[in-house]
Amino acid sequence: MKVLRFAASMAIIAAILLLYHTALTVNNTTVALTLLLAVLGISARWGLAEATVASVAAALGFNVLFLPPIGTLTIQDPQNWIALGAFLVTAVTASQLSARARRRAAEAEARRGEIERLYALVQSMMLSGNARKTIREFVHTVVQVFGCRAAAMYYRPTGEFFRSGPESSVVTDHELLTAAEIEGVIVDAERELALAPVRLGLRPLGSMTMVGRLPSEQMVGAIVNLISLTIERARAIDEASQAEAARQSHLLKTALLDSLAHDIKTPLTSIKAAVTSLLGNSAASEHELLTIIDEETDRLNRLAAEVIEMARVEAGKLHLEKRPVAVHELIVGALAELPAAIQSGLVRVDVPDDLPAAEADHDFALQVIKHFLENALKYGAEGSPIDISAHLNGGKIVIGVVDRGPGIEENERARIFEKFYRGRRHRFDTKGTGMGLAIAKGIVEAHGERIWVESEPNQGSAFYFTLAVGPGDGAE
Amino acid sequence: MSAGKILVVDDDPQIRRVMKATLVGHHYEVIEARTGEEALEKTPLEMPNLVLLDMNMPGMGGLETCRELRARSDIPVIILSVRNSEKDKVAALDAGADDYVTKPFSIEELLARIRAALRRTSPEGGPQAFHSEDLEIDFQSRRVHAHGKDVRLTPKEFELLRCLVAHAGKPVTHRELLQAVWGPDYGDEPEYLRVFVNQLRKKIEANPAKPKYIVTEPWVGYRFAGATEG
Repeated sequence: MKVLRFAASMAIIAAILLLYHTALTVNNTTVALTLLLAVLGISARWGLAEATVASVAAALGFNVLFLPPIGTLTIQDPQNWIALGAFLVTAVTASQLSARARRRAAEAEARRGEIERLYALVQSMMLSGNARKTIREFVHTVVQVFGCRAAAMYYRPTGEFFRSGPESSVVTDHELLTAAEIEGVIVDAERELALAPVRLGLRPLGSMTMVGRLPSEQMVGAIVNLISLTIERARAIDEASQAEAARQSHLLKTALLDSLAHDIKTPLTSIKAAVTSLLGNSAASEHELLTIIDEETDRLNRLAAEVIEMARVEAGKLHLEKRPVAVHELIVGALAELPAAIQSGLVRVDVPDDLPAAEADHDFALQVIKHFLENALKYGAEGSPIDISAHLNGGKIVIGVVDRGPGIEENERARIFEKFYRGRRHRFDTKGTGMGLAIAKGIVEAHGERIWVESEPNQGSAFYFTLAVGPGDGAE
Repeated sequence: MSAGKILVVDDDPQIRRVMKATLVGHHYEVIEARTGEEALEKTPLEMPNLVLLDMNMPGMGGLETCRELRARSDIPVIILSVRNSEKDKVAALDAGADDYVTKPFSIEELLARIRAALRRTSPEGGPQAFHSEDLEIDFQSRRVHAHGKDVRLTPKEFELLRCLVAHAGKPVTHRELLQAVWGPDYGDEPEYLRVFVNQLRKKIEANPAKPKYIVTEPWVGYRFAGATEG
């Protein structure tokens, strides 16, 4: 190749000399300028060596064929030294300039190639929600795209090493571990490998290595930046999809429970409406039987309501809609749902007028009071009063329901909030589901508040729960 | 003689059956619709006196149906629903329902609610009219004019306003209001008043957030501020 270029350079010079010497008659200046152009062309096209040979040949040929005395190499006129010098200076300068331009172009071409590969790398990264899978794919793709022999990554959060290519073992696990702690890219030209830490901001994510044909140091930096962003994106997708999955599952549970409630209550509605209609104008003989149907319908309805409520509490994440609520309103609402409590005439309510509004979910907080009341009605001594009170204590509103029942033994006190637990003495009672207090506990805990029982055997039990004080005055 | 025509809207055939049998037994004329869409079709043709509307139905659902009914007429609507949370009650009342009954219910309770919804207090003895610069109420012709515009009130809103004006200047308790407007079986439904008072304020107050006429009496009830005439 090189030889051909030398030959071609000589041929061009010879052709010019021959042309002017034999065919065209022009003055010496024209010949010199033509030769200068040729040297310039050769140096720009091929480089310094070819241009130097061409300029020496041009100077010699010009001297012999055109400068007097013609036919000799003698230089009479000192001007002709200047001509020779001009040829040489032109050759050297032009070739250096063009060589620099060619080098720039080659570098730009290489950089463009690397950027194209980096782009290909970005393109090939699938949007995946799994960090480990993403890294494995990334390492593999780096080898393919950059044409190096091997690549590996150490992923610190899981302590795993992901390797691609058989030669990746050239870099030991230990080297990768160390690289994760250092700053900047290390290029070991002798072993043909580059090592770089992978970071996201200041957070170390691990390190990466490439073996074989190495891209530039900046490109290695760009690759590790890319992988840290890719990992972070994978993790974000992962977290988002998990949160979405949890939300979906919660929605599904809620929807299922709602439809279950609807499906159970719809036939109960028909039964209840029919039986109460019959009760309105029934004969005495039938009245008793119809009353049983009516009461059992109510019982089934309560049971279904409690099972569904318990399932809702257990499904977790009760959807609370907290707002300021007047405690008195909660108590009145709970009593309204328990006609038996009002009819007994035994319930006494003590709520100070200046009690601030509580911050709570109205419906759920009402349920807690209702379950307390049901419990008191069930276990209180026949005909004894039930006291509902609310007061401010230590920045919390404490709501309590006190009965005059047999009380609860100490070893049973913690367990009565468990699902299906019934006091030893009441194990064979048919009333209730044994879920009321467990539901109450679930609701109170979802509010981030406290629920407890105080009891004195043979005196009675007092159930309490707390609610936060509302930010404003909920009175209306 | 019919005590009134009732449109029963429920997707469950058994519920429609039992309602029909029972209500007919109590001298009501009953027509049925299986969906909200069907109810909206039948209402202008049949002109019922009352609609019993199931909340949970396929298709447009009870709330949407209630809103549509309310946009076209002031026929009393009672929503029937298996859900008994305050949130659902308020949503139903906000949609324009006059009352809300939780399923399952005893027929006596439903009949009482139906009577309450159909009931109109007689204008005798109450105030005849109220006039101020931006509010005019004529209780005889049931016309309300606020801020230069005619205002349409539902029967329950109108009764509530009448009760408040009748005691103008004095606080009326929640219980008194509920019993005067809905009937003697009511009294423990403060959320009804909250919704209806809000709706009234939106219709007659210049600034519902700072009411000039219907004033809240904390813990007690509401008061109509303004002197009556006539």
